[in-house]
Amino acid sequence: MLRETDVVVIGGGATGTAVLWDLALRGIEAVLVDRSDLGTGTSGRWHGELHSGARYAVNDLPSARECVEENAVLRRIAPHTIEDTGGFFILLPEHDLGYGDRFVTGCAETGVPCEEVDPAAARREEPALTDRIERAFWVPTDGSMDAWRLLWSMAYGAEARGGRVLVHHPVVGFERDGDGRVSAVRVHDLVGGRGRTIGCRWVINAAGAWAGRIGAMAGAPFRMVPDKGVMVVMADRYVRSLVTHCRMPTDGDIIVPAYDAAILGTTSTEADDADDPSVAPLEIDLIIDQTAKLVPAIAHGRALRAYSGHRPLYDPVQGEAGGHGRSVSRTFTVLDHEPGDGVPNLLSIVGGKLTTSRQMAQKVVDVMVAKRGEERPCTTAITPLPGAEQGIRQPTRPLARPSAAAGQADGPLACECELITRRTIEEAVGAGVTQLDDLRRQYRLGFGPTQGGGCGWRAAAVVAARRPDVGDPLANLRLFMQERWRGLRAVAWGQAAVQALRNDAIYRGILALDTVEREPGEDEQIQAAATGDDWSGPRQAGPGRGVGGEGLTGDTEGRRATDAGPPGGPRGPLPEPTEGGR
Amino acid sequence: MGADVVVIGAGPSGLAAAAMLAEAGRQVQVIARGHGFTHWAAGGIDVLGRLPAGDEAGAGEPVERPLEALGRLPDGHPYSLVGEGALLAGIGHVRALTDRAGIELVGDPAVNRSQITGIGTRRTTALLQTQGDGALAGRVAAIGFAGFEDFSSHLCADRLQRIGLDAVPIEIPLPQGFRGRHVNAVELARAFDGREFRGAVAGTLGRAAAGADVCVVPAVIGLANAAEAWADLQELAGLRVVEAALPPPSIPGLRLFDAWRERLSELGVGWRLGLPAIGAERDGDRVTAVLGEGASGPVRIPCDEVVLATGGVAGGGIETYRDGTLAETVLGLPIDGFAHRSEFLAADFFGSHRLAQAGVRVNRELRPVDRAGAPVLGNVRVIGTQLAGHDPTAEGSREGVGLATAARAAELLAGARARG
Repeated sequence: MLRETDVVVIGGGATGTAVLWDLALRGIEAVLVDRSDLGTGTSGRWHGELHSGARYAVNDLPSARECVEENAVLRRIAPHTIEDTGGFFILLPEHDLGYGDRFVTGCAETGVPCEEVDPAAARREEPALTDRIERAFWVPTDGSMDAWRLLWSMAYGAEARGGRVLVHHPVVGFERDGDGRVSAVRVHDLVGGRGRTIGCRWVINAAGAWAGRIGAMAGAPFRMVPDKGVMVVMADRYVRSLVTHCRMPTDGDIIVPAYDAAILGTTSTEADDADDPSVAPLEIDLIIDQTAKLVPAIAHGRALRAYSGHRPLYDPVQGEAGGHGRSVSRTFTVLDHEPGDGVPNLLSIVGGKLTTSRQMAQKVVDVMVAKRGEERPCTTAITPLPGAEQGIRQPTRPLARPSAAAGQADGPLACECELITRRTIEEAVGAGVTQLDDLRRQYRLGFGPTQGGGCGWRAAAVVAARRPDVGDPLANLRLFMQERWRGLRAVAWGQAAVQALRNDAIYRGILALDTVEREPGEDEQIQAAATGDDWSGPRQAGPGRGVGGEGLTGDTEGRRATDAGPPGGPRGPLPEPTEGGR
Repeated sequence: MGADVVVIGAGPSGLAAAAMLAEAGRQVQVIARGHGFTHWAAGGIDVLGRLPAGDEAGAGEPVERPLEALGRLPDGHPYSLVGEGALLAGIGHVRALTDRAGIELVGDPAVNRSQITGIGTRRTTALLQTQGDGALAGRVAAIGFAGFEDFSSHLCADRLQRIGLDAVPIEIPLPQGFRGRHVNAVELARAFDGREFRGAVAGTLGRAAAGADVCVVPAVIGLANAAEAWADLQELAGLRVVEAALPPPSIPGLRLFDAWRERLSELGVGWRLGLPAIGAERDGDRVTAVLGEGASGPVRIPCDEVVLATGGVAGGGIETYRDGTLAETVLGLPIDGFAHRSEFLAADFFGSHRLAQAGVRVNRELRPVDRAGAPVLGNVRVIGTQLAGHDPTAEGSREGVGLATAARAAELLAGARARG
């Protein structure tokens, strides 16, 4: 096997992308592969809280300390991904009043800046807050983060230094030589429809909630505990700062303002399958009711959509009834598969959260470099990412792809909700982003109140004009709209219900998009993805069960139902490579 | 501002009811929050494109002959309540209306036709404006106008090619004054009303699409002088031109709206757009006045009869709540909710959505009824998509139901002269 690269990084989430960036800075050649697009897993499905550490200051001190360190680092290297909001922790009369003092002590112990403010002063700063405040704490380093921006900045930075990113390339197998070493990673190019083998010296498994599956494929099985969290996106921002319940972390604790929306989070439910995108109505109700205790207007606000993501918790006690959800620490672990599994050149990085993803990357690459007997110090903590020169993110700044900035300023809009110009979409499509769902993550296409009602066909038109070679643009459009529908349907009451039926009136009523023939298996995928969206509710409903920390890794939006593969791809087990297939 | 009859809502059903009532000699006042579904539909008359789906996963059986299929609809369906006669009366009304306005409506409620859409698909309808009619065959040119974002020649041609047509996308520049900028559908349609503009476009089109057997263009060829604009464009370009249905705002829909608006004006119908109805005064089981939300306080509109045409959930006539319940927004009419909201919508975007069928249940006189089937208000009739038992989008029955129920309401109220 001809060696194509030095390291294959598996997983295009925050961790994998940070590993690629880290390797590039150390001068190590690498290829990152992901089964879908960057940030489609947990990193694209979180609430967007840049942790100060305060959330963990009482019950998970190691996590709190990691957050303090990384918060400072991220503000240095990636300010353009952060909206510097600060945050309020609000103690309500019904909360454990003793938690307030423990919170102050915990913050002091772990180095989280925190200052108690008069409840009236807090309400002057945030008029939407409830008037039922017992105590209020200001935590200036809490922030709102755009994970996609972070990911693409790292990817662009790595690519500029020779790193490579192969999206829509699921791993289908490994080749190992006589002494157990992985000699190559076999992937399937879903867009090109062919198999490919990438010869390499080392493999870093950063597949997050799916890392166990990758490990097993390489002969190094271990158990991940996908821990599901549900988020609700509101059409209004309500607050300038993050607002968090000041209590032992539990469900429905946080309000994260993001651009002109607010993201409400979250829950913690042990899940069997990290590919299950379902959102139970009871979880949505719980989140809205809990966060409305902090900001009462939320109870009657317009929801845009709901989605879920899976924290990649690592369960070291295989097979035992290990604690689930918040009782498993949110810190991270490097697994060296040489001693236990006999795979000397495979490392897995598991656990953690988005705030600490850079640190995770540093640790796993440090281990690799040490095992290789090399001297290559990590510089990610001191190297600003591309885009950092923009400074702290403002909600109105243009998005990730640097070249898009020019086109964003003028020209006709393709998406009126998120102010995305046609030229921006043309540039992105020209650069190879041809799936509307991928455009969504990079440019917020379809994120606004209409959830694709106004922009979907315009974006499909750009793809049809620029890339007639990438398949049926209406199938592309239909998949995009089906994905938007999933999240919209979950919150379809009030204005969101009106929007849902109006989108139906446009796409079925006028445009007859329903008459376009479906891909084989598409119906089944839609129905399967909806299982769990019914009224049965979460398996362990109700606040107060958790004792661990919080902190879903990843950002603010939903992956479509077909994320086991790209449009039309199979769901569940990864496909065997085929020649000339789809 | 009082009237014999207050019509609430300015979508197809409210407009048609107001016109027919006024034609029958009633003094009519229209009040509405804003424009209705004329602006959100393809500008024709959808009568019945599909039977209701049996279950939520399946799509309904396609209908070729709408009148024949009416008998297969369930008892509670609005068509079943008002009958074929009312539908034909409603269509008679709209034919007369369009004739008067110089809009040529082609087709027949007995047989469905297909209408090309902006993305190259075919939608099913019964009657449509002649500009959108006509088979596509031979060499087809999909014509986009530079600067107009809501139609893509590429997207349209791509679909036509996929169904086996010889189609090419052609993008043509617009005349001076429209170059290098964004233009919207209404602006473009008004421009086509002008002879000089369409002459210039026709010249460009004739050269760019020479040899094409038919040109598919976005449905923006004229608003006030649409028929003339379309005829001119074809003659000057020497090409056959077919308009494709676009997302809102729908220019063919605006043509219909303008025709109704003009007719209501001729008939002396009172007209208040931008005045949402928010409640009513009652005397026993009768509504004595409708309350509108005026800028400085409620506006009271005394009336003898009310025709409620506020649209379903999509039109704003019904509010939906997190607990699965629904409410009719003006009169608080009884309306069946759901055990919980997860029953509102199907998992599939194109499935059968129960919320789309939600509405006010009525008897054969279109009076709202309670659970037991007893009328709840003596002088209220409910029409259009506000009615329970049909899904205007999935069935493709929006205008047909609107016209049929409007005609039925007009028939019932024409006989009942105002008292006093």
